[in-house]
Amino acid sequence: MIWEAVFRLKVWPPYLFPSPGDVFQAFIFGLRDGSFPIALAVSLKRILIGYSLSLFLGASLGVLVGRFKFLDETAGSLMLALQVLPSICWLPLAILWFGLNEMAIQFVVVMGALLSIAIATDSGIKNISPLYLRAARTMGIEGLDLYIRVIFPAALPSVVTGMKLGWSFAWRSLMAGELLFVSLGLGQLLQTGRELNDMAQVIAVMLVIVAVGLFFDQLVFAPLERRVRRQWGLVI
Amino acid sequence: MEISIRQAAKEFETRQGKLQALQETSLEIKSGEFVCFVGPSGCGKTTLLNLVAGLEPPTHGEIRSNGDKVTAPGSDRVVIFQEAALFPWLNVIQNIEFGLVRRMESGKRREIARTFLNLVHLGRFEKSYVHELSGGMKSRVALARALALNPSVLLMDEPFAALDAQTRDLLHEELQDIWQKTRQTVLFVTHNVREAVRLGDRVLVFTARPGRIKKEFRIDLPRPRDINSSGVLSYAQQIQRELREEIEKVLREEVDHEWTLKKTDFLRPAGIDLGSGI
Repeated sequence: MIWEAVFRLKVWPPYLFPSPGDVFQAFIFGLRDGSFPIALAVSLKRILIGYSLSLFLGASLGVLVGRFKFLDETAGSLMLALQVLPSICWLPLAILWFGLNEMAIQFVVVMGALLSIAIATDSGIKNISPLYLRAARTMGIEGLDLYIRVIFPAALPSVVTGMKLGWSFAWRSLMAGELLFVSLGLGQLLQTGRELNDMAQVIAVMLVIVAVGLFFDQLVFAPLERRVRRQWGLVI
Repeated sequence: MEISIRQAAKEFETRQGKLQALQETSLEIKSGEFVCFVGPSGCGKTTLLNLVAGLEPPTHGEIRSNGDKVTAPGSDRVVIFQEAALFPWLNVIQNIEFGLVRRMESGKRREIARTFLNLVHLGRFEKSYVHELSGGMKSRVALARALALNPSVLLMDEPFAALDAQTRDLLHEELQDIWQKTRQTVLFVTHNVREAVRLGDRVLVFTARPGRIKKEFRIDLPRPRDINSSGVLSYAQQIQRELREEIEKVLREEVDHEWTLKKTDFLRPAGIDLGSGI
């Protein structure tokens, strides 16, 4: 409503500030000519691969750093330092390593989510009450079993938070990466919109990006987090 | 012979240097016995329990369980901690099954877990999560979880200390009952003298740090025992008298050295019950 009202006031010319109707039309047009679905599919495929990879690597790294003092003192501080670096800054390095291809963008996505998942896992593990470990050990649980059945589940609330955070980092990194160079994908579509001076398309794509991000956040991660927290009695 | 402690001693490295937590202690615990350790805080009773559990290695001496040297924790010596230490990611029945998982198939496991859950009268709460239970219920689940493993000795480290008096009393009754049914060997650490007298066959009084066993009381009272029965009280008073000295030592160390307890305030005649259940 406000958007429509501002548009009607004609503060800015329509090519800079399109009406909701124009944006909707651009959206429909994008759906019809297939550019939106294709871009969406490409982006989703990238994020799913990149995110799964970073989930696996991040959790493993977090467990290692959380359990071994030597790694904590070396890789642990490095991890925190690198977390400050926006993951898109890995892009030039990735291009030099892998060339202008899928690998490079996957690398950026992985770097975006990996560290926040690793840091969350690490802190989850460090905060496990030693009582759980002692109790498990006196019940004869040791070695790998201790990791699978006690350490990982005990760290889970923190890991889930890290996963949620990692998801939004990964999504942002992917968009930044696509915007900068790779063909296809939502970021690319955004860039096309700019080049064609098609503001309606730019805004429509932005909305799609927000929608996808929110969709996963609300329909995957929020319920997961709620479930874990309820089971643990962390919410009433 | 179930548990045999041979000249076991424990020192801890602290920033102030070495701290002797437990002096050389020898003790034999027979199968089916209920042995209680009482003593002032920091007297090494929990340390000794941890040594038996295998959670910490002794600095000297050794501990044998059924003739085997204790080197690591094992499910033949299950510990029940003061905080029940149940796992919040599992429900009640899964918690009880926890230690059995790799040992038997799931149907049999569930059956055993149910048996023990019923033994502690929580059959209805099979699917409850840990945070939905009260403190007393958690203690019961912890007890069931430990018993389900069929340990050769059950090590209890102030298991009821965090509970209110009524709940504790009820749990004493049940533990006594379960013990009479199962004749489970128990090593029970507490600072509650009456609790020790009520439950134990033997009560061992520890000295203040560095800890050692000061005196042994054999409790010759028929079971079931009531916490307010005269038999329990008279043993409790004798033990309390032994303890007073040690508690005073601890206090003197913690407060100023010149400070002493006023005799009239503290060392009352044995006939008067001065909160001996504390």
